[in-house]
Amino acid sequence: MADVVLTDLRKSFGGLEVIKGVDLHIESGEFCVFVGPSGCGKSTLLRMISGLEDVSSGRIEIGGKDVTRAEPKDRGIAMVFQSYALYPHLTVRENIGFGLSLARRPKAEIKEKVDAVARTLQLEDYLDRKPKALSGGQRQRVAIGRSIVRDPSVFLFDEPLSNLDAALRAQMRIELTDLHAKLGTTMIYVTHDQVEAMTMADKIVVLNGGRIEQVGAPMELYDRPATPFVAGFIGSPKMNLLEGEAARKMGAREVYGIRPEHLVLSEGDGRWAGTVRHVERLGADTIVHLESREVGPLLARVEGHREFRLGQEVTASPAEGRAVLF
Amino acid sequence: MKTRQIVIGLISMAVFFVIFVIPFILVLLTASKTPAEAASVDFTLPERWVFWENLVETVQTRDYQLLLAYWNSSVITVGAIVGLVIFGAMVGYVLQRRDTKLTRGLFFMVLAGLMIPPAVVPTIWLLQGINLFKTLHGMVLIQIAYGLGFTVLLYRSFIATIPRDLDEAAIIDGGTPLQIFFRVILPLLKPVTVTIIVVQAIGIFNDFTHPLYYLPGAENVTVQLTLYNFQSQFVSQINLLFMNILLITIPPLLVFIFFNRQIVAGMTSGAVKG
Repeated sequence: MADVVLTDLRKSFGGLEVIKGVDLHIESGEFCVFVGPSGCGKSTLLRMISGLEDVSSGRIEIGGKDVTRAEPKDRGIAMVFQSYALYPHLTVRENIGFGLSLARRPKAEIKEKVDAVARTLQLEDYLDRKPKALSGGQRQRVAIGRSIVRDPSVFLFDEPLSNLDAALRAQMRIELTDLHAKLGTTMIYVTHDQVEAMTMADKIVVLNGGRIEQVGAPMELYDRPATPFVAGFIGSPKMNLLEGEAARKMGAREVYGIRPEHLVLSEGDGRWAGTVRHVERLGADTIVHLESREVGPLLARVEGHREFRLGQEVTASPAEGRAVLF
Repeated sequence: MKTRQIVIGLISMAVFFVIFVIPFILVLLTASKTPAEAASVDFTLPERWVFWENLVETVQTRDYQLLLAYWNSSVITVGAIVGLVIFGAMVGYVLQRRDTKLTRGLFFMVLAGLMIPPAVVPTIWLLQGINLFKTLHGMVLIQIAYGLGFTVLLYRSFIATIPRDLDEAAIIDGGTPLQIFFRVILPLLKPVTVTIIVVQAIGIFNDFTHPLYYLPGAENVTVQLTLYNFQSQFVSQINLLFMNILLITIPPLLVFIFFNRQIVAGMTSGAVKG
């Protein structure tokens, strides 16, 4: 259990600055998700916390201790990689116990700890297999087991679910959340998938271009995005963002945002008139793509069984008090 | 299509037979002949088979020199292979993982070691200067130096296929650089290590010219140099010469047969990731 404090953290590769001054406080026991588009520096930031990447300037504290220049193994962290990074020549048991065996712990202690971890992750039947004989989800669990056995004060996850198929990803999301509840350890999780961020996080950190755009709880970010970037990034389908004249007409200074579910479609009078271009049926919901003459494309989320024809003329109106103004 | 395949197969078998099998049969037959019969070196069956007598005489020549030669050659081969594998893998690892101006320069030096022909006389002068001339460990170092370029090249390209995530996972697990190398990287290099062992062991064991230059002296004889025992200006014992050839061919042949499948795996495993 430890909190993580980043102070004015910067990182340059050659002349290119990729992390442009990050200040962040991750509370002890928190599940914190770094999310952002690819190239925003979220993985670099995680690697800087892990110690795999040097810090150009700034300060990293883990559990109140300055670890800015410390070796990765002295930081009390464990990391799960996107590729799992299991040692292919070792069995599952040896993979999980590798760190302990490097530290020359007694064999009995290693066995005891590995068995305990295997029980937690339901890996007991696979302990003598090599990684290549495991499925993606099992490999992922071995990688998590390898980090648990180190008993770290902070877990770091670098896009751990992106190599799994959709069903398994949903299941692993729940398993990871359960694991966090069980261990109560601080976890930092990097992803480009805002669904993972929304479903798992206590605190989401939205990064863009090497800077923090906003920090907050999932629903806080959803309801009150601080910038148009966060508004567009969090939530699926994306928030409708109107700019320029259209935004000013609606009372915003620069950008007017309204989420698809807050757009009311009707055949009668409404704020914007438009043509139905495309209808996506998701079952419970239906996503309607409109082409409005006044403000361009709009997305609306409506109840699943409402009927729309392509080319149909409809009007869209924003629900009262739901718009976000920038 | 089928007849064509059979015809091509038969032709290839015939060519293979002429190139690889007939010389071996000639060696075997001549090694079984009496001196008088062998002197004419022709492809006939011996009138009297004296295979065993020839074998005993070859081994006993010059106070069992062949056995000493086996020992010397084995020491040189094993010593050089151990050095080549450890140093080659280490150098290849560093050159692949650290891409800096310095390592690029060093890699060019490795390539230069492959391209620039070795200079014999200065090498002897150097060996004499550091008291390694006419010694087995001097010879081991020479063989390591000659083989290192090729070895580093193979290891470096193979290590490129090992994901860097593994190194980083081991760093996080608390591994020191040496632990990471010996416990994570080196075991994964097994296919290419087998290739290097076989290719270099056969080359070093069968080396004739380098021991001839750098390792003179009766007590330093290596297997290939024992061939001189049966050839001189006035007397040649062709039957014993061929028996000697037969005897010193056996160890590399065994190594090759034993490792044959792994060699092919090692040769290709660097080429295609999988």
